[in-house]
Amino acid sequence: MISLLKNLYNYRQMIFSLTHRELRGRYKGSVLGFLWTFLNPLLQMFVYTFVFSIIMRSKIEKYYLFLFVALIPWIFFSTCLTAGSGCVLYSGDMVKKIYFPREVLPLSFVTTAFVNMLYCFVVVFAVLIFSGWGINFFALLYLPIVLAVEFLLTLGITLFTSALTVYVRDLQHILSIFALAWQFMTPVMYSSKSVPEKYLFLFNLNPMTSVVDSYRSILYYKEIPHVRTLTSAVLFGVFFIVFGEIVFSKLQKGFAEEL
Amino acid sequence: MEEVISVSHVTKKFKVYFDKAPNLKDKILFWKRNRHETRTVLDDISFSIKKGEAIGLIGSNGCGKSTTLKLLTKIIYPTEGTISVKGRVSALIELGAGFHPDMSGRENIYINAAIFGLARKEIDAKLDGIIAFSGLGEFIDNPVRTYSSGMYMRLAFAVAINVEAEVLFVDEILAVGDAAFQEKCFQKLIEIRDKGTTIVIVSHSLDQIERICGRSIWIKDGKIQMDGKPADVHRNYMEYMDGRS
Repeated sequence: MISLLKNLYNYRQMIFSLTHRELRGRYKGSVLGFLWTFLNPLLQMFVYTFVFSIIMRSKIEKYYLFLFVALIPWIFFSTCLTAGSGCVLYSGDMVKKIYFPREVLPLSFVTTAFVNMLYCFVVVFAVLIFSGWGINFFALLYLPIVLAVEFLLTLGITLFTSALTVYVRDLQHILSIFALAWQFMTPVMYSSKSVPEKYLFLFNLNPMTSVVDSYRSILYYKEIPHVRTLTSAVLFGVFFIVFGEIVFSKLQKGFAEEL
Repeated sequence: MEEVISVSHVTKKFKVYFDKAPNLKDKILFWKRNRHETRTVLDDISFSIKKGEAIGLIGSNGCGKSTTLKLLTKIIYPTEGTISVKGRVSALIELGAGFHPDMSGRENIYINAAIFGLARKEIDAKLDGIIAFSGLGEFIDNPVRTYSSGMYMRLAFAVAINVEAEVLFVDEILAVGDAAFQEKCFQKLIEIRDKGTTIVIVSHSLDQIERICGRSIWIKDGKIQMDGKPADVHRNYMEYMDGRS
């Protein structure tokens, strides 16, 4: 594990340049360019807000804020879950020809999506301030922890899916359906308080529940996340990164032959 | 002298599928049809290379030379046995893999050197040397897609050879560029060998190997047939090849 980290540190320039290239190149050729980073989540927010506060008439105060603070972290996660699974497959040419620690590929994919999320958080803060909702700075101190935990969790899952996709290409298509189902099973559009007591146990098995709840505590309820929620998020994060790396390191030995 | 590369009892088998099921549906439906044969490319080979040695790997087509090189660079992994390579590795195997056609030669130097594990500062320090070696001059700021294939190879070669690796793998690429550039590459290879870089070359050109290497390994049908002074190994190899044709 330590030698892997050392190796990845040596390849930091590669991670950086892949991430940079991806961030710069993603919207090349589109008219609105970089604005899409913000437009995409904003448009999703309008659609969900329309459905949930006008049609379903949710009683949640300022529903759009309630949704927005959870939707941004969710989009990061689901982007990595669906598109991230192909990151090794689509770099097949490089994997077949040259050596570099293969972890670089999922790592730079997740980092790219993570940087995009951080940009979106600028919009989140702007909306929180200008809507008069405000920010609790003390609770905000916990935000970096939650961000780090979500990063680890997402990276772990992306390591797992991107390695498996090389062997089972169908996984990408399965995952896009799976991601949609997962979104509805996670309290993104509704509150985890409205989950019936008897199903609560199952909901807490979903690693994203505690992550999304933590974001919402800090930004929407303006309070420090519950110790139990935070602990379970950290445990899930650590579990998935270890699990993802174990699977990845086993499967990566066959990458060059499978691609 | 310290051992830099050690290969011990390495066997590499490839599965050759007669008709590979590309997706899940076919894999499940036709799992019985998923027949394959196992081909042994390398069969229990062992050798070790000391620091500063230059080795030539020779053998007829399909004997396992390139597979050995791919194993050494950790692109593929052995079925059995262990391989250890110490120090920073550079490989002149697939030149220009990872080049980005729309970016300039200069930007591609950064990307390509990063793939060899160099940090930005190290690249900054080597940049002028790389550009000078490539001989591309003012073309260095043009997009790589506008390069001729010779220019492309020269840039890739310049990056790979200036990485200052401790171990350098070379696969049949000394046919790069014109005669003058080839000679420059030769001189550079000899220069870095004398500085203590370990070099492994795969080539069909026995003359090239004799100029650079102090030892040759002849691989035949996945086994080491002979290992020793290039002159001796090559004489036997030539006799064997003459006997076959």
